[in-house]
Amino acid sequence: MFKLIVTKELKEIISSTKFATTFGVCSLLIVLAFFMAARGYHVGRAQYDAAVAEDRRQLEGQTEWLDVSPSVFLPPQPLAYLVPGISNDIGRNTEVRGRGGLRPEGSRFGDEPLLALFRFMDLEFTFQIVLSLLAILFAYDAVCGERERGTLRLTFSQAVPRATYILGKLVGSLLALTVPLLIPLAAGALLLPLMGVPMSSRDWLLLSLIVASGMLYIGAILGLSVMVSALTRRSSTSFVLLLSLWVVGVLIVPRASVLLAARSVEVPSMDQLLSQRSRLRAQLWRDDQAVIDAFMREQLSGVRDEEDSMEMQSAMQAGIAAFNTKFDELAEERQFKLAELDARLTEERRNRQRWQQGLALGIARISPASAFSLAAAHLAGTSLDLPEHYLSQVNAYQERFAAFQKEKTGRSGGGIRLVIRMEGDEEDEPGPIDPAELPAFVFNPPPLGTVLRAGVFDLSLLAFFNLLFFSGAFVAFLRYDVR
Amino acid sequence: MTSTDNAMIQAVQLSKRYEDGVLALDGLNLQVQAGEIYGMLGGNGAGKTTAIHLFLNFIEPTSGEAHIAGISCHREPLEAKKHVAFVSENVSLYPNFTAIQNIEYFTKLGGRMDLTRGDYEAVLKRVGLESAAHDKRLRGFSKGMRQKCGLAIAILKDAPVILLDEPTAGLDPKAGLEFIRLLEELREEGKAILMSTHDLFRAKQVVDRLGIMNRGVLMAELRREDLEHEDLESVYMSYMAGYMDENEQAGRVSSRRAG
Repeated sequence: MFKLIVTKELKEIISSTKFATTFGVCSLLIVLAFFMAARGYHVGRAQYDAAVAEDRRQLEGQTEWLDVSPSVFLPPQPLAYLVPGISNDIGRNTEVRGRGGLRPEGSRFGDEPLLALFRFMDLEFTFQIVLSLLAILFAYDAVCGERERGTLRLTFSQAVPRATYILGKLVGSLLALTVPLLIPLAAGALLLPLMGVPMSSRDWLLLSLIVASGMLYIGAILGLSVMVSALTRRSSTSFVLLLSLWVVGVLIVPRASVLLAARSVEVPSMDQLLSQRSRLRAQLWRDDQAVIDAFMREQLSGVRDEEDSMEMQSAMQAGIAAFNTKFDELAEERQFKLAELDARLTEERRNRQRWQQGLALGIARISPASAFSLAAAHLAGTSLDLPEHYLSQVNAYQERFAAFQKEKTGRSGGGIRLVIRMEGDEEDEPGPIDPAELPAFVFNPPPLGTVLRAGVFDLSLLAFFNLLFFSGAFVAFLRYDVR
Repeated sequence: MTSTDNAMIQAVQLSKRYEDGVLALDGLNLQVQAGEIYGMLGGNGAGKTTAIHLFLNFIEPTSGEAHIAGISCHREPLEAKKHVAFVSENVSLYPNFTAIQNIEYFTKLGGRMDLTRGDYEAVLKRVGLESAAHDKRLRGFSKGMRQKCGLAIAILKDAPVILLDEPTAGLDPKAGLEFIRLLEELREEGKAILMSTHDLFRAKQVVDRLGIMNRGVLMAELRREDLEHEDLESVYMSYMAGYMDENEQAGRVSSRRAG
């Protein structure tokens, strides 16, 4: 009997004109999302290659490794074009010096503000907005609609257990909605390699999990719709109620969670941090200037005492070397103090930010839409962890670059150096540097295990929502007046 | 629990009071034997549909018992429903399915998995649905055509009991007559049929016994022989008038007491 009800539900939905129309539109949107992702990836790749080449060109003709501050760029990731997460909001290029803080700049939304205004028709949007509405459209009258039409009376004049009926209905609607969607999803996914997007086996696995999380999300909305339809007598009431819940769950809860968390936990802004840092730097620089002045006076008095020009020149050279060494020491000390302040402020900010984010995400997760967004973003590598991961990669590169500079010049990069050329000095023209020697920046995505661990919580939450709403529909229907 | 009587349909002091306080059925006692058609005649709110819904366990009785083939409809609803087929006033089927698909689904749901397309077509012909309509979607079917499909489902279930809720309402004279002939055939096959109606003419044509109901009370029971010699309309109206008089008098007494 269960199979009979499931089959009937499948046939009834699939044979309806409503399904044919909406399925056609959704299929188009899904394929379009993959097509746009492939196009977006190629545009991103071209921009990335051009930026890297331009950066290398700027290094040409340079003669001193200590003067070099290459830029590193976040390379385009195929899945980020399907589930952008926050990838468009973060800085993609970072100028790297031998020492000092790193600040990624040039976000995509910063470069193209129109995109920030209207966003994209990506896969996440298609699932979160379009397909969830489709699920409501197909299930809002699952029970109350049958009551209104009178088919429920005829059904329950037969020896049909209520539990079997509602389970069959839930499973049937779920299959009718999700299985046909696998066709455009598979076609869309096939477009990626066909359009030359390099998809690794890791990407395929994560894409499958993103689709699975989308299906779980659609399942939760479907379960909710059947539950509401089993709690109401009229399909119009059910539809209005579900639309209101959709607006609250999809549009209000995620935004309200951020506002509530921001009001509950204050996080100092980056500008506040930078201004504290600038104050300390200015103070340290003033202190160092006094030390340098005293040092210079002492050195120059020694040079002035020399009468022989040769001796004076060598005293001058020794003085310069001593100055550079002193300056390096001061710079390093200054840098150490700044780094100490940076670390403290950043740590404090990060702790408060984590607390705020935890609170916001905790509130947001009461909505399946947020759980889906978070799961998809974690799996696509575009979650809130992306900036930290990217920065850690750039920091690691900075260390490699600093070591490279030290190896090449024997000195640390950053700060300033004093070079005095005496009249009659032979021009010591250093040869141009070879940019090919520069260590390459390779962006490694987080390990698969880390990604899966991050995504599994929200995937489990979506599964829980399915169970909750399916159970709710089941219990509500056991007491439903079928007349 | 099983009934001790041999009646296929039995109500014993069956009452239903809804949550809003309305007493829809008040101590109904009736029995329908195999091969008998029992008509419940009454206006809107008489309690006819409530009685049928109690036999189908759509609602639970406030007191009393309803039995189908000796099985308690309230205590063993699934078992009782195996022995009953139901045709409602407005037979509602799935509009995107064809007549055959609808009949196949509901017949299988009723437990008949052994039937073939030939069986479905034969029954549809028997109820008078022309062959050209068998594979058409229900969307464009008239009420009469849907009624025929509903009856086909009931026939195919081959249950010993058939419950009909206002089955002739809205049918044209020809369809109504065909329907009555089918009921007579089913009676010949030994089915126990309980039919609610407010169609005096059809009721007189087909029923073996007729219960006149008003405001949840079975006021009188007439046999077929009685009906043949009576003007049913007058009988019905006299019962209604009697009921009104009683209530009016009761109202006056209450008013006096209150005053």
